Amino acid sequence: MKNALNALGKYFKDFGVAFAKGDIWVKLSAVLMGAGYFVRKQVVNGIIMCLVEVMFVVLCVGYAAPNLAKFGTLGTVQFEQVFDPLTMTSTVNDYDNSFLILLNSIISLFLIFVFLLFYISNMKAVYRLQLKKENGEHINTFREDVRAMFNEKFHITLLTLPAIGIVIMNILPILVLIAVAFTNYDQQHMPPSALFTWVGWTNFKNLFSNSVTVTFGYSFRKILVWTLEWAVLATFTTYIGGILMAKFINDKRTKLPKLWRTLFIIAIAVPQFVTLLLVRSFFADSGIVNTFCTNIGLTGFLKNVGLVPSNLSYIPFLTNPGWAKVMIVIINIWIGIPYQMLVATGVLMNIPEDQIESARIDGANPMQIFVKITMPYMLFVTGPSLITDFVKNINNFNVIYLLTQDVFVTSDQLLANSNAKEIDLLVTWLFRLTNEYYNYKMASVIGIIVFIICAAFTLVTFSRTIKGDKEEEFQ
Amino acid sequence: MKKKVLATLLAAAMTAGALAGCGGGAAETPAAETPAAETPAAEETPAAEETPAAEAAPAANDAIANLIAATTSPVTMTVWASEEDQDLTTKLLDDFKALYPDVTFEITLGAESESTAKDTVLTDVEAAADVYAFADDQINDLVQAGALQEVVANYTYDVAASNVAGAVEAAGVDGKLYAYPMTADNGYFMFYDSSVFTEDDVKSLEKMIEVADAAGKKIAMDISNGWYIYAFFQGAGLQLSLNDDGSNTCTWNAAGGTDVAQAILDLTASGVLVDMGDEDMATQIAEGNVVACVNGTWRAETAQQAWGDNYAATKLPTFKVAGKDCQMSSYSGYKLIGVNPHSANLGWAMLLAEFLTNEDSQKARFEARGLGPANSAAAASDAVQSNPAIAALAEQAAYATPQRVGGNFWSPAETLGQILASGNPDGTDLQQLLDTTVEGITAPVE
Repeated sequence: MKNALNALGKYFKDFGVAFAKGDIWVKLSAVLMGAGYFVRKQVVNGIIMCLVEVMFVVLCVGYAAPNLAKFGTLGTVQFEQVFDPLTMTSTVNDYDNSFLILLNSIISLFLIFVFLLFYISNMKAVYRLQLKKENGEHINTFREDVRAMFNEKFHITLLTLPAIGIVIMNILPILVLIAVAFTNYDQQHMPPSALFTWVGWTNFKNLFSNSVTVTFGYSFRKILVWTLEWAVLATFTTYIGGILMAKFINDKRTKLPKLWRTLFIIAIAVPQFVTLLLVRSFFADSGIVNTFCTNIGLTGFLKNVGLVPSNLSYIPFLTNPGWAKVMIVIINIWIGIPYQMLVATGVLMNIPEDQIESARIDGANPMQIFVKITMPYMLFVTGPSLITDFVKNINNFNVIYLLTQDVFVTSDQLLANSNAKEIDLLVTWLFRLTNEYYNYKMASVIGIIVFIICAAFTLVTFSRTIKGDKEEEFQ
Repeated sequence: MKKKVLATLLAAAMTAGALAGCGGGAAETPAAETPAAETPAAEETPAAEETPAAEAAPAANDAIANLIAATTSPVTMTVWASEEDQDLTTKLLDDFKALYPDVTFEITLGAESESTAKDTVLTDVEAAADVYAFADDQINDLVQAGALQEVVANYTYDVAASNVAGAVEAAGVDGKLYAYPMTADNGYFMFYDSSVFTEDDVKSLEKMIEVADAAGKKIAMDISNGWYIYAFFQGAGLQLSLNDDGSNTCTWNAAGGTDVAQAILDLTASGVLVDMGDEDMATQIAEGNVVACVNGTWRAETAQQAWGDNYAATKLPTFKVAGKDCQMSSYSGYKLIGVNPHSANLGWAMLLAEFLTNEDSQKARFEARGLGPANSAAAASDAVQSNPAIAALAEQAAYATPQRVGGNFWSPAETLGQILASGNPDGTDLQQLLDTTVEGITAPVE
């Protein structure tokens, strides 16, 4: 943290030094960005800088300014349309589209920010040129600069495209999402025909409050608990299962290990949603599994034990909250194990044979070897991927949504009042809110919360598993 | 150097991959069916058969003439119809183009189910189709989102006068007409196997349960679904309506509400009337376990195949509330065609919508797909009248209301149905149960 602050301080100090100690040409560069280059005979660089500056000014006047002017209100002019029956055409007023204003404003702010960074680094570069000139060092020609981009500065060339991709695909949408959480963008306020505006922290307050009609707070707590339960269960069951499966298949006594491994990989090759939808109909209230269970008397037995309500003639595999939760975890084990098995197979093959050998000579039995050597080694190597798995499971949309959509109906009225279900994860609830109820504002709030949970969890566990000299222990 | 070139290419490829990956998530791209170039072979079509201005006022003729005169460039439009309607719509589009030989049309036909049209349209109204079909329950949301052009004038036929009153009501909001009725068959009613039930049996739900019980069979209804559970509460005279701001007014917890809830509990307690989703129902009908069900025309084929000559349909039965017989109500359902106000060719879009819903098109739709017409003249034909499912719908129409309800209704109502159909397992006080449901249904929409 301190390092970051120091670095930031130095960043601005360098800029100040450049501005204070620079000669007249460097100072002129603060107004005309190319000036410092022209005087050092870097004409092409100078022209490029000037062009960038002109483009920025044009962008500010033509694009950023009109949008940012409305950023405070997100637009005030309502969409209006008048139809003329005689000419069969309609005229539309010059209306404001809140969403476009928001989007364009954020892009504008981002571009201005990037330009400022560029501007500062330009000042520093120009000052560096001045110093070089004073010290009589060689100043690159444009051709040499270009060549440098393919040699000592090749990493910059290489990373430009991916960096732009990340900005457009990840950073800007996330910024928009965060902004939407502070607006009233929902079905009642959908552009272009309606405007939406800023509402401050209201949405966050709704999420954590629990008044009579707004049961969001209640639903949020219940769903958060189940999400975490699910993430823990799903991660560890598939992890342990995968390791055991890999152990069994790799065992010397197992016949045809390659066949078994291939069979499991085939299970991966079938798209998940196909398997899940099939499984859903297998376990439907009148599905094949239920018919089978009724015929062999299992349904009757479970009724007697009290696991199935007496008024049902079937096992509510995916329609009763308790049953559904257990089934979802079990089905996920079945789907998730092949992946973990593949990972574990690779790691297991790399356990130093001498360690296991010496343990065996010391008289350790297979169980002891597994607990004392294999598992610690596995945990060390796969620790980071375990954390990613956990985060992935927090957001495991497919399994839950595909197995329960259109099948599961909640019997908890408070959950129902905020469109949630017992088996919902935060992410499926979020999907339902946006996709079926157009409640973009609350979905954004939930999205932010999910992000915070995942980020916090990842940071804490990563720093704990990776720090220290654990590596030494296994050498 | 070579390595660097390779590395650069790889980096570029990765970025491109990321971009492509994101692109895949974009909204549906309607399976484009761009008709081949317009050759003026239109001459050979039976021109006299359909003069568009036949029953319209002279002013409308002028408007169309103006429009044709004002149209110089090709008219590009997108039409969305359901997957099953593609063949018929393609044919109707050809007929439409033939009607205006002087104009070049480039009409793209996309597949979009009427039941999900709203979801796709509301994602981006400006990018949605110029003319699209949708179910009437979506009309409020669509109008509110500015996705429907008000029908302020008719050019080729009088929409309000030619369609049945219920359809016109369903196509309007606040007394203004916003869409063109296309079919009148989207409601629900009772299918039954006439080898099990007599015509008298199906008049009362209690009697049906008695008969089915004796035969060892089931009666199916999707009780844990707001759309169907409405039949009981509305039938007993309780109110549910939509407010201007998108919230609901609901009196299901008022006096008499608990009697309805008790009636549903009693009916399902028999184990004969079972809560069952649409897909399960199809399987169970085919397997012969279900001999009667509350469902809509889309299941007519399933029932007909399973029961053969014994396939029959009628209005919903009565049920006993506190000892008194009440006629079950229902949601009437219509499929409508709407015009997108953001269309670049608004005039042509309106003319096309009129064409797709006029009497001849509705007749063609019935002949091709068995969909009940909303047009009074088309509905009066013998062929339509003798279709059992459509006749049953017409019978039920007297007790049906158009679906006008806000989004907050569905989830609480579904849960109420679930609790009642499973026999109120927690033994919650019925008044309390209804109070919570109504709180959810009437929750404010801010």
